[in-house]
Amino acid sequence: MSELYVESPLAHREAPQGLSIELREITDRGMIDVRGSASDKKFMAAAKKVLGIDLPKASRTSVSWGDVKALWLSIDQWLILCSRAKAVELAATLKTELGGTHSLIVDVSDMRAVLRLEGEGVREVLLKGSSLDLLSDDYTPGTVRRMRYAEIAALLHVVEDTVFDVYVFRSYADYAWDFILATARAPAKVTLFGAQSTPI
Amino acid sequence: MLVVHCPVCGAEGDETDFHGGGQAHVRRPATHDPVNVSDEAQRDYLFIRHNPKGLHFERWRCDRGCGKWFHAARDTVTMEFKAFYGITELPPRELMEQATGEWATYFKDKLKAEAKS
Repeated sequence: MSELYVESPLAHREAPQGLSIELREITDRGMIDVRGSASDKKFMAAAKKVLGIDLPKASRTSVSWGDVKALWLSIDQWLILCSRAKAVELAATLKTELGGTHSLIVDVSDMRAVLRLEGEGVREVLLKGSSLDLLSDDYTPGTVRRMRYAEIAALLHVVEDTVFDVYVFRSYADYAWDFILATARAPAKVTLFGAQSTPI
Repeated sequence: MLVVHCPVCGAEGDETDFHGGGQAHVRRPATHDPVNVSDEAQRDYLFIRHNPKGLHFERWRCDRGCGKWFHAARDTVTMEFKAFYGITELPPRELMEQATGEWATYFKDKLKAEAKS
């Protein structure tokens, strides 16, 4: 029998240097895709029983309880974040609890790569690949937004004011990593007001 | 660049975050009467589209956002969006009244039905 093992999509990449922000991959994150109707009381109650939190109903928000987070993806879709070790068990519990309701639970921990961007200029760096107004008040900590980033589909999660998680599909991980390496180079830093840094 | 507003999730974004889905309110004849579908009706359903100068009704999808389909009313001359409404809904009454050409014909009995109820 072959052994099952997890290899992150960016395991072969070196730690980046010379960037204006910090960039790293988060490899230990478990993700569970939950679909169901927000107006179905039985579904919402069963989800709360397992997760300890109400799935967020407001658009583009997230809630957290302990190490479990629920991100709003659509009016009938959520992404549950937890530790990778816990994901299989949590998905199984959810499946059992939601057995009688019209819903879908899939463990998608290996579906996406998670890129953590951290630093003062992180919004300006992300702006280079997006048409969203990331400097506006809409993007406060906890905000979740599915978006088009560098021409690919991405999920943006504002963790803290200067800490952003970008989720991209696994096959795009290298591309997204390269895009951020190029746009976040220290000489390419964008200053919104005053003199720009001189590119080398 | 068009700025589109999704009536489902409330997201606002430019055209690249959305996906145009062609003309709205196209009815598939076989859905309503599978036995009697004429060649003309099937041809019209597949290929014949309105091409108005002015007010037009389209389908759009919140492609990079919530993934849901919705309807939009747009002026093809000024490129201005007049309204966004749900995928199962009809446009606001005043827009149905403003519609011209084929759209006016299409909305005629819808307006009558609405006036009755």
